[in-house]
Amino acid sequence: MNLVLVGVSHKTAPVEIREKLCFPEPRLPEALQELKSRYDHEEGMILSTCNRVEVLVNTTNLDDGVRQVKDFICDFHRLRNEFLEKFLYDFTQRDAIRHIFRVASSLDSMVLGEPQILGQVKSAFNYAQTAGTAGSVLSHVMSKAFFVAKRVRSETGIASSAVSVSYTAVELAKKIFNELSGKTVLMLGAGKMSELAARHLTSSGISHVLVWNRTYQRALDLAAVFRGHAIRPEELFKHIEKADIIISSTGASSFILNKTDGERLIHLRKNRPVFIIDIAVPRDIDPEINKVSNIFLYDIDDLRNVIDANLKQRQRQAQFAEEIVRQEVESFVNSATAMDVAPTIVSLRNHWESIRQQELAKSKNRLGALTQDQQAAIDSLTQTLLNKILHGPISELKTLSRNPAAKEHIETIKRILGLKDR
Amino acid sequence: MSLILLRLTIALYSIGLLHSFLTIITRKKILFRVALFGICSGFLGHALSILYTWRETHLPVSNLHQALSFFAFVIVLAFLLSYARYRLDSLSVFIFPLVFILTLAANLISSPQQPLPEILKSIWFYIHIPSTFLGYGAFFVTFAASVMYLIQENELKRRRPQAFYYRLPSLEICDELGYKSLSIGFPLLTIGIVAGALWANKAWQTYWGWDPKIIWTFVTWLIYAVLIHYRLSAGLRGRRAAFMAIVGFIFVLFTFIGTRYLGTAHPYIQR
Repeated sequence: MNLVLVGVSHKTAPVEIREKLCFPEPRLPEALQELKSRYDHEEGMILSTCNRVEVLVNTTNLDDGVRQVKDFICDFHRLRNEFLEKFLYDFTQRDAIRHIFRVASSLDSMVLGEPQILGQVKSAFNYAQTAGTAGSVLSHVMSKAFFVAKRVRSETGIASSAVSVSYTAVELAKKIFNELSGKTVLMLGAGKMSELAARHLTSSGISHVLVWNRTYQRALDLAAVFRGHAIRPEELFKHIEKADIIISSTGASSFILNKTDGERLIHLRKNRPVFIIDIAVPRDIDPEINKVSNIFLYDIDDLRNVIDANLKQRQRQAQFAEEIVRQEVESFVNSATAMDVAPTIVSLRNHWESIRQQELAKSKNRLGALTQDQQAAIDSLTQTLLNKILHGPISELKTLSRNPAAKEHIETIKRILGLKDR
Repeated sequence: MSLILLRLTIALYSIGLLHSFLTIITRKKILFRVALFGICSGFLGHALSILYTWRETHLPVSNLHQALSFFAFVIVLAFLLSYARYRLDSLSVFIFPLVFILTLAANLISSPQQPLPEILKSIWFYIHIPSTFLGYGAFFVTFAASVMYLIQENELKRRRPQAFYYRLPSLEICDELGYKSLSIGFPLLTIGIVAGALWANKAWQTYWGWDPKIIWTFVTWLIYAVLIHYRLSAGLRGRRAAFMAIVGFIFVLFTFIGTRYLGTAHPYIQR
């Protein structure tokens, strides 16, 4: 296993550079083939999203690998090497594995914990499989990366809090009402933002939508989209008490609801809470209304504050996630090197077995005719002898394999035991 | 034997305490399953300990040691019931330490086991005391739910979420739990008071003694009666209901512990 990873991401390169390095989907098969065949890499895959381009190869020679992959990227996009150098990062072996695990777990994403990246990594790997450039090592690394990503998602809260305005509104609504099914949302005004928020709310279980707008026709149109009801301009206060959630985004220049309206509203609702989202600028709802018990008013800045807090929450959770990645890299590297001595052990056994067979054949002539039992005895004698001799070196190899620094020792053992390098 | 079981119970409850500490310090759910298992098995040990004493003498609630232990037992019962319904991990952070401290205190206070006076031996003993205690256990859940409600409400009103916002359940759940536990606790306390009166009549030929404990219990009962009345008739809920439930529980605590300094006919207060 000789892993090399070269890439750019939103952390190292501005969008002008990233777009130049993008591998568009239709050209991926061609790019993968070239990547593999050009320098005789054993395996390769390419991840190309709007925030990052990463090229990962399992190569024959680690020392040249980084240079070769960089050349490949530059040549493929017909760019000069010196120009790109400062934007590209490269990792090998353990560091490459760690980087892949972090990327798949969304720890390296622009929005920490965003869920899309895992799907993108998965599809990049699928492309490589289809193109026939992903073999056993890459499969091994990637399936572990998917596992790590899953572990991070389920064991930390890295993706648990909303980071977009409309999801934050949904999340706040759930912190108030718990269940959104059976609840009613009232849209004041028919702006794009409130439509988006309402869409998220309805897909989270809100069952009734009311629309109020200065122009009744517009209200009717929007109500039709959500299969809701339109409220006539003059009848707002007749229906407002039905709303558990109010999203306001009118172009009104003065407040539509003030504190007194709020008090009356809560009285009519028998103290059932109301969640008001005011995304209009200038604001539609008198901020004083938040002082009324059981009314929760959030304007656009408040929602942003919540998003900031959520991001901080994600950062705290990311620390736990980094720890998970660290553990998993450790365990993966250990098992991967252990895997690497397996061929040595096999060839060791084969080598000595063939010597045994040769010697048996030679002595057969000298020993003359033997009975079946004698034949079996000699066979088992030599077999046992061989096993006993090889037991020490093999268990030593297995122990050494867990230590990545022991590569030289492994080579020495191979040489002593008369194994040619594969 | 029952003391050994009680000590085992404390050891198991301490897992719950550890869980609460870790949860507060690391802000990460650690050990909850282990803690829940510890609390469940502690609960069984506790039940056995109580049954054991019961078999030897009578329902063990006749001195302070036993009363504290029994109160802790009732609170665990109330927690497990509400957990079964609402799966509120956050409730455990409040309840596990309290349960541990109550049981530990019960263990440290050694009160001599006094035989129940002949005059008090009655079926009413088995109704009056358990139902009052169960009522108080339910009120403790009401109290915890109300505290959670106020904290979460404050977080939502301030519009700058901090740790509690993420950890606590929604307002709706806090309010519902507060209401449900109240509507279980109130009838139990009522039964306890009525049974107590009937028992007093049998023992002392009077339904109503002007004993401080009785008076305070009645005041407590009145507060909860007013709360439940407004909840039902005027849709009182949320913040104000939570405040009232907290005040009610302060009265419960005073009735339970405070009145011992005022002199009373209630047995485990007398030393």
